[in-house]
Amino acid sequence: MEAVTGKKEPKERGNRKSSRFWRTFLQQKYLYMMSLPFVIWVFVFSYVPLWGWTMAFQKYKPMPTASLWDRVFDQKWVGFDQFQRLFTDDQFYLVLRNTLAMSFMGLIAGFVVPIVFAVLLNEVKNIAFKRVAQTISYLPHFVSWVVVAGIVIKMLSTDNGAVNDLLMWLGIIDEPYQFMAKEKWFWGIVTAADVWKETGWNTIIYLAAMAGISSELYEAARVDGASRLRQIWHITLPGIRSTIVILLIMSIGHLVSIGFEKQFLLSNNLVSDYAQVLDLYALQYGLQMSNFSYGTAINVFNSVVGIILLFSANGIFKKITKESIM
Amino acid sequence: MTRKRKWSGVVLTTAMVAGLLAGCGGNDNNAGTNNGGNASNSGANGNATADTTPLTMSYYSEDPNPNWAGMQDEVGKQITSKTGITLEAEFAVGDPVQKSALIATSGDYPDLIAAKNSINKFVDAGAVIDLTDLIEEHAPNIKKLYGDQMARLRYSNEDKSIYVIPTNAGVNQTYFNAGGGFELQHRVVKELGYPTIRTVKDFENAIKQYLAKYPTDENGNPNIGLTLNADDWHMYISVTNPAFLTTGAPDDGEYYIDPKTYEVTYHFKRPEEKEYFRWLNHMNAEGLLDKESFVQKYDQYKAKVASGRVLGLIDQDWDYGDGEKALKAEGKFEYGYGHYPVTLSEEFKETSFWPTGFMSGYGIAISSTNPDPVRAIKFLDYLASEEGQVLVNWGVEGKHYNVEDTKRVIPADVNNRKVNDAANFQKESGIGNYTMIGPHYGDGVKDSTGNYFTTNFPEQIVAGFNDVEKEVLAAYKATTWKDLFPKEDEFEVKPWGAAWNIPVPGDSEITILDEKLKTITWKRIPEAILATPENFDKVWDDYMKELDAANVEKAEELRGELVKARVELWSGE
Repeated sequence: MEAVTGKKEPKERGNRKSSRFWRTFLQQKYLYMMSLPFVIWVFVFSYVPLWGWTMAFQKYKPMPTASLWDRVFDQKWVGFDQFQRLFTDDQFYLVLRNTLAMSFMGLIAGFVVPIVFAVLLNEVKNIAFKRVAQTISYLPHFVSWVVVAGIVIKMLSTDNGAVNDLLMWLGIIDEPYQFMAKEKWFWGIVTAADVWKETGWNTIIYLAAMAGISSELYEAARVDGASRLRQIWHITLPGIRSTIVILLIMSIGHLVSIGFEKQFLLSNNLVSDYAQVLDLYALQYGLQMSNFSYGTAINVFNSVVGIILLFSANGIFKKITKESIM
Repeated sequence: MTRKRKWSGVVLTTAMVAGLLAGCGGNDNNAGTNNGGNASNSGANGNATADTTPLTMSYYSEDPNPNWAGMQDEVGKQITSKTGITLEAEFAVGDPVQKSALIATSGDYPDLIAAKNSINKFVDAGAVIDLTDLIEEHAPNIKKLYGDQMARLRYSNEDKSIYVIPTNAGVNQTYFNAGGGFELQHRVVKELGYPTIRTVKDFENAIKQYLAKYPTDENGNPNIGLTLNADDWHMYISVTNPAFLTTGAPDDGEYYIDPKTYEVTYHFKRPEEKEYFRWLNHMNAEGLLDKESFVQKYDQYKAKVASGRVLGLIDQDWDYGDGEKALKAEGKFEYGYGHYPVTLSEEFKETSFWPTGFMSGYGIAISSTNPDPVRAIKFLDYLASEEGQVLVNWGVEGKHYNVEDTKRVIPADVNNRKVNDAANFQKESGIGNYTMIGPHYGDGVKDSTGNYFTTNFPEQIVAGFNDVEKEVLAAYKATTWKDLFPKEDEFEVKPWGAAWNIPVPGDSEITILDEKLKTITWKRIPEAILATPENFDKVWDDYMKELDAANVEKAEELRGELVKARVELWSGE
């Protein structure tokens, strides 16, 4: 934006500032007009539904035939009862633990692996090989979780599962190991499945960022005698640092809302203590029991935690790396 | 402008309702208020004999029907030509309870709703209408069909309206064949010379002996002694329900109800059931229980059954049927399964056939947004009529059955397709697609010509058995599997029907308590079964403590109140 407006010495500050804003505004009116639909979209789908939060403080009963006003306000108000119930439920802490654990593991693996993979791909000089590798690695992204879960369970099966057969053939184990029945393996299996499915896809954005790094930098480094590893360390990684930081901050904001598909599809009763996540809990105790207020309370909790995480991550990164999204 | 029009509509409707009320002076006031705005329609159509102008109604069911052909099948076309109604069906995919909850909340109701236990959500939302007067005025066949069971159609003691026309259960149903109990492959009993299969020990020994002789199949893959189906709700069917069926208690869902005192116990707390699970634990320790029982998903389970490697099952035929069908299609009849009335020990009777009386509850309701409730009830009434019943069960005369000397007979080629190409046959003919939509007679009920209403009667069932099955049955001196089981008349009818189909009020605490108990049970039962035998008691004690902590007593108490209310509703006036 600085580039468009150009730099001018500020003279009469306050007055000047607002008139400059309007001038910029006029200059960029097409940009503003282009962003307008999305602003409306965000407003309609993210801000308007916020009035639904009132449900968290009610004992909400659906009244589809009543007038809109009655539907919202002619309800029994119960204050913080729903939250009280939420915070005194042991199950809630269990699912919160699982959610945070799996998010953290997913967050770390979901950053490290794609970045490493992108850096490696970036170093490949054979274009044909690079393209093929990229395509194959991001294909699983388009496969639905139902199918992925089926593949994972079949691979880890004790009944002719590929992984067990391989380990037996190598002589590492004597009899098939029940991966899916062990609680301590569950988080790892989910994370690994996620990495397999999403690595290629997540790589794309880093590769795009790397493509933006000027080749002059590499040339200069090479003249100075920098090895490949040195180039990666001093040019490639710093070049994509702001991309990494922004993605990281946003992911941290989403730590508590990780969905439930993979956990739901991969879990079974034996590992349920480690597989239940917050979204599934909200679905079971909120929607399935028609207890919409309780479901909303969980959602409110989710959002509040999300905002706190987002701001703290943003603040921390601002301090350390001078990069932030706000 | 729109607002104005709306108001005039309300005024007009009110006027028409008032006119109607004045017209049928004999009626009590309820008729007008209950039918609300729709009453105007009944006024217009009330006297017409059969209105068959085409009308499409949307229909929602919790039970998916993969063979639904949009009423373009032969039976469907016939129904449409007789009633003018075409159903546009929508079935729940995935979790039906959730789907029903969404529909009930959305306010956008299908015209006809079949929502099983979730119907309470629709009733609470005012989404379904009281059918008492509609049935009285327009549905003589429905009245005839239910006969003295009409009292069982009422919703609750507080609200005696009829919201649901029961369609899941047949009236006066007699079971001629058994589909539950414990299952053994025919090759197993044949090889061992048809031993008596009466207790879990007999069952275990049969599997053990056969496995010792044939540890692998012809391709070298290991045979599996017993596998259980524990994916999601199948857990009830294959793992937890057998615990009471084998220990002399009837199926009342997750609770055991004392027939005399109506005292309710969470059924896992019964000491007999602990011993049943101890036996499963023992099966696991012996290596006879499939290790993957609690890990596999439903499709893997079916694939395993279809591979023919599984010697024994504890399941219902409709649950493992797809797997067995595949085996039959390959001609591997000796890999099919027989049903045996296995109990924990000789002192117990297998309770699969403990009679419940007529099971109302699950069925079809007419929504408040239905464009023409009178046509809807007449449609259902047609299905309940003798003509309709014969049509939905037997198909079209001259095509799917012939009448020989007043006797309905299914031609051999049609029956052959019906058994061996079941899915396609159902799609084309429509036989089986409409039985559960409307009220229907159960197996064993005869029509005015002396023929059975349904095609499930002894001769027909035996005709459907393959040679291997017949051979095994003959060896056990039985004509159908049911002959092996204790009969209905050996038990006393439960006055509450069955506790699992008593609707729970939407805001009841039971729902949450039940969910908690279920989570604990589904976690602990597999754990107890897979524990080492020395550890079993400890795991079980922990499980019991956890149940207490989750307030199992409160759940029992609340459930007890529901049972008492049901007994009162069904017995009293």
